[in-house]
Amino acid sequence: MITQNELIKYFLSEAEDHINTLIEGIEDLETKGYTRETLESLFRATHTLKGSASIVKLDKISLLSHKLEDLFEAILNGEIKYDNSLNRVIKNVINLISLYINEVSTNEAEKTELNQDIINLLDNILEKKEAVIEQPEVVTTFEALPIVNTVRVDIRAIDNILTLLGEILVQKNAITDKEKELEEIIEGISHSSKRLINEINAFSDRYWLVTQDKQQKITDSFFTDFSDLEFDRYDEYHIFLRKIQEITNDIAEAINSLFSYSEHLSSNLKSFSREIGYLKDNLIEMRMIPISRLLHRLSESAKDIAKDTGKKVQIEIKGSEIKVDRPIYDAIYEPLFHILRNALNHGIESPEERIRKGKSETGSITIEVKKEGKNIVINIKDDGRGINLPKVKERAIQKGLLTADKAPFVSNEELFSFIFMPGFSTEDNVDLLKGRGVGLDIVKTEISKLKGTVEVFSEIDKGTIFTIKIPQSLSISNLIIFKAYELEFAIPLSYIEEVLTIEDFPEIKRERKITHKDRNIPVKFFHELFFSSNGKSLEKGYIIVFNFSGMRKGLVVEEILGYEEATIHPLGKFLAGLTQYLGYFISGKGTLRYVVDPLRIFEEEFLFISPEVIQVSTVSAGKVLIVDDSISVRKSLQSLLESKNLKVYAAKDGLEALNLLEEKNVDLIITDLEMPVMHGYEFITRVRKDPKFNDIPIVVLTSRGTKRHEQKAIDAGADGYIIKPFDEVTISEILSKFEIIK
Amino acid sequence: MSEEIKQESERSYCVFGVGEREFLVPKETVIQILDITKIFPIPGSPDYVVGALPVRGKIVPAIDLAKVYNIERINYSNNKLLVIDIDGEQVGFLSDITPFFVSFDADIVVEDYIDPKKLFEELKVTSQKNTSNKRE
Repeated sequence: MITQNELIKYFLSEAEDHINTLIEGIEDLETKGYTRETLESLFRATHTLKGSASIVKLDKISLLSHKLEDLFEAILNGEIKYDNSLNRVIKNVINLISLYINEVSTNEAEKTELNQDIINLLDNILEKKEAVIEQPEVVTTFEALPIVNTVRVDIRAIDNILTLLGEILVQKNAITDKEKELEEIIEGISHSSKRLINEINAFSDRYWLVTQDKQQKITDSFFTDFSDLEFDRYDEYHIFLRKIQEITNDIAEAINSLFSYSEHLSSNLKSFSREIGYLKDNLIEMRMIPISRLLHRLSESAKDIAKDTGKKVQIEIKGSEIKVDRPIYDAIYEPLFHILRNALNHGIESPEERIRKGKSETGSITIEVKKEGKNIVINIKDDGRGINLPKVKERAIQKGLLTADKAPFVSNEELFSFIFMPGFSTEDNVDLLKGRGVGLDIVKTEISKLKGTVEVFSEIDKGTIFTIKIPQSLSISNLIIFKAYELEFAIPLSYIEEVLTIEDFPEIKRERKITHKDRNIPVKFFHELFFSSNGKSLEKGYIIVFNFSGMRKGLVVEEILGYEEATIHPLGKFLAGLTQYLGYFISGKGTLRYVVDPLRIFEEEFLFISPEVIQVSTVSAGKVLIVDDSISVRKSLQSLLESKNLKVYAAKDGLEALNLLEEKNVDLIITDLEMPVMHGYEFITRVRKDPKFNDIPIVVLTSRGTKRHEQKAIDAGADGYIIKPFDEVTISEILSKFEIIK
Repeated sequence: MSEEIKQESERSYCVFGVGEREFLVPKETVIQILDITKIFPIPGSPDYVVGALPVRGKIVPAIDLAKVYNIERINYSNNKLLVIDIDGEQVGFLSDITPFFVSFDADIVVEDYIDPKKLFEELKVTSQKNTSNKRE
């Protein structure tokens, strides 16, 4: 729970505003004379100041503001005629208020005794309804306001920083990807160096004692400086061998340092990422404002309504310290107020009715704000009549939302969700819902705009709970990334309830729905909505289950890549018509990801598919799989192929290549023959055996130049044979031969 | 003096090619000319929107006028993207040639001139929501 101190801090920063408004207002009154506008702004300032002060229990400030408010109100209503002589009184009061604010700021309490004279004076004016002539001492200057340790920053400045931070995040992701690449490269070098050492050691063990050429002169001074007796006679061959061994050891050493370097780098990067994370959280937090003020405004309005309707109600507020983004703060008041008004007007019974029902005379409404992960959950709970479900059912049938034969099997949950349907309830069934129904659909629309959901649960005569779930921040979204047809998409996490695998629901393809946790959940297939999927049947895949204010819907996607935080950019005016997208963002690797609007997808009448099948191949001309155990061959060939706009997959042995083939569509394979784990001949044979791949051209790239090797490869099923080292011309010829480049 | 007059009486255009045809846009609308490395198709967009190109954190929609004007294209390779600015919105046109600039006297009526604003409005992607057949 928020402490009194913190509340006072909020109050002070707010009070400064109001005092400034008051001072400006009174100065305007003095210089420009009376205008209704000025007085209204004075009235508003005192009204809010009164409210805020009473929350933090600063009774004197509250009382003084209250009196001023009454005075302004009386003037506005024409009960008191404005007179210049009033200015002095007003100034005095304002001065007194700032005095107390000063005291609160230093001592956290109002210390000075309240001068009863000034209150009496105000009361007097209010009673007699005319300005009084007699005056206490004249005040000309205002007390300096307390200095609160805050800086006001234009919200756009913070937004700019956040945008920059978004870019930094992209860079960071790119670096993290590069880090993995570095690890792979080091791994590769280390592997080769081990092989080199082993080869050389084995070689020198075998041939150490063989003297190549006794006639050869030794030129290395290290050996020639000694006489023959002091040293075994070594010829150049031995020296060369020893040197190679030494160099190899040096390389191994260097690779070890490279290893530890990369480890250091990784740990630095990790803390770097963490710090960026903190920075982002802090910035977002800075941009946010506590929801407390809004809640108190709500409870004030609610009390007014209660008074008007003659109901007794106690309003309890929990969690007012939670902070939300400014746009959310601005947009959430209306829907909350709506729900609250419904609760008061139609949920909470009159005192008499409550007593009849054996409830306490005073109704209770609880507004509870909680933080759940990256979301804010707001519960508005009343102990009133509750929602009459049989009537909801009746109405749903009437409205054609439900057929009479299905009605008995509809779950309560689904029935509740009907009340958010547009025009569901009208004036003729006032007590069906707690309101005139008009409005709950608007509540839902408003909440949806904030990427949030609203749900209701109710029990007859026990009460009703509305649960609103919205993301805490709109500027950075939490997204699930998935892949379809080589393109990447994202969907906001806030609507997602869970993710299931389609293997567990064999009925899904036939019935287009699943039964999960006793619910019937209709599903749509992403690839059917966004691509005309010509008979492509999914063997593996995931069902993303959404919860749209109580309505569960499922979306089947092929491959989920993970979870990411990102800033969503709008598509721009030219593409704005593509309303199935909320926008886009660019991944660390530079891949464009479209953010899908899940609400839009499930609108029945929505047609997505463009008249023509999307040709994903425009992304790149062709796809080539390189299989080679040497990292340098892989890299140089890869960069050569990529320069020709080809998509390249690389594998370091036959087995890895086979696995890649299962996942990716490949137009050409270029493979080495000698590789660990699975060598080239076996790889080619296996590929040729598989009917899925037997028409993919395979080209062998090897240092084995003999006809025998070539014949063996051709026999296994290879279509081409290149002898290392390769050059661009040869590769280009191969590419055009197999029509990879047109 | 005479030079100034000449400048005022001339208009500069950027020429780009689609198949065998050439189109002109006002020079001042041109932002940049890009090599097309990677285009991301946008599912659901009309066929003349080839995709989107990420450029410095933003995206530029790539339009193929061949699809708009039914132009046959022989050679697909060596595509460039001519990026122009229309009231702060950037769009790109596929060009089969490297776009170049020309100037003509202002009173010459240029053939195959494209009014970027008009074209933008014409080609702007409209909502796919298929309500029309429901109303019928």
